[in-house]
Amino acid sequence: MQDWMEILIRSAALFFIVFVLIRLIGKRHPSKVTPFYYVVYTVMSLIAALISVNIIQNVVFGLLALGTWAVFALLLDYLALKSKAVHDLVNGKETVLIKQGKIMEENLKRARMTGEELLRELRRKNIFNLSDVEFALLETTGEINAMLKSDKVPVTPRHLERKVAPQSEPQTVIADGNILDQPLANIGLNRRWVLTELEKAGVALENVFLGQVDSYGDLYLDLFDDAVQLPQARVKDLLYAALEKSQADLTAFSLETENEQAKAMYQRNADRLKAVLENVRPYLLR
Amino acid sequence: MTVASKVKQTLAQLRGAQSTLKLYSAASRDEEAKTAFIDAASVTGEVIADLEDRLRTIESQEPQYKGK
Repeated sequence: MQDWMEILIRSAALFFIVFVLIRLIGKRHPSKVTPFYYVVYTVMSLIAALISVNIIQNVVFGLLALGTWAVFALLLDYLALKSKAVHDLVNGKETVLIKQGKIMEENLKRARMTGEELLRELRRKNIFNLSDVEFALLETTGEINAMLKSDKVPVTPRHLERKVAPQSEPQTVIADGNILDQPLANIGLNRRWVLTELEKAGVALENVFLGQVDSYGDLYLDLFDDAVQLPQARVKDLLYAALEKSQADLTAFSLETENEQAKAMYQRNADRLKAVLENVRPYLLR
Repeated sequence: MTVASKVKQTLAQLRGAQSTLKLYSAASRDEEAKTAFIDAASVTGEVIADLEDRLRTIESQEPQYKGK
């Protein structure tokens, strides 16, 4: 057999063997694995490359080596799932680097990190002030994760004691001018609904690049023709404004009328509408 | 503008708002949002009923403005 043919066949065969092996070993991203698995990956890829270009001439020996590494990696993975001790042995344990805002110099030294390296890793997480950190951990993958002091955590609606509407994921129902049936079915709508909405917006289906439905049933459209100005869904704002206006009207009526009974009725209803406004505010104004 | 026509305007506004609320209550997938919209629509309905009552009284008191 000619040399080039041998290399061709070896390479093609190995391509698929390695493909299967990598699939078997798992989905972890190479940059997120512990040093041990990094070595396993490297050794396996090296053996495969060496067999492929005919440096390891005995294919059987080569595959044996490759297989052994793969099997041991899988075996350790399995044992690590079953036993915490094996897991710690294989993956190592996290190291606490900052505790209650104080750097643990001993642990830092044990992890062979300098202060600058720690600061650099924190900056990578957008933390520039050491004083903002309450707690930081060196993960077994070498990544540093930090918990901020409670007064440095970004504000959430909860901090503002504001209720926000729960929102589930939007569904993409139109792509490239085609209606997608599966996502439509997921939210209990059908093609007819899409066509009605498009007619309301005055848009042809062919002109729609992407269309998304949010959890309130509003359809957002992006058109191929960007010159076309679409009336985007402002219904919620308008609805809130209408309710607010009615509430103001009722208050005005109650002030204007001289009939005591009517005054009380207007005031009562104004108060009711006020309560309604408060209730729907998180859903209408976002 | 007479009182009656002002009340009518508010009534129309409220009816529009109520129908939009009903629409949202039907379209919302989230249970909490659905309940909020249904509640809002029903309270709005009660307010509308009260206003209609009042409108009838006004119109019977001042029949010259009826139908405007």
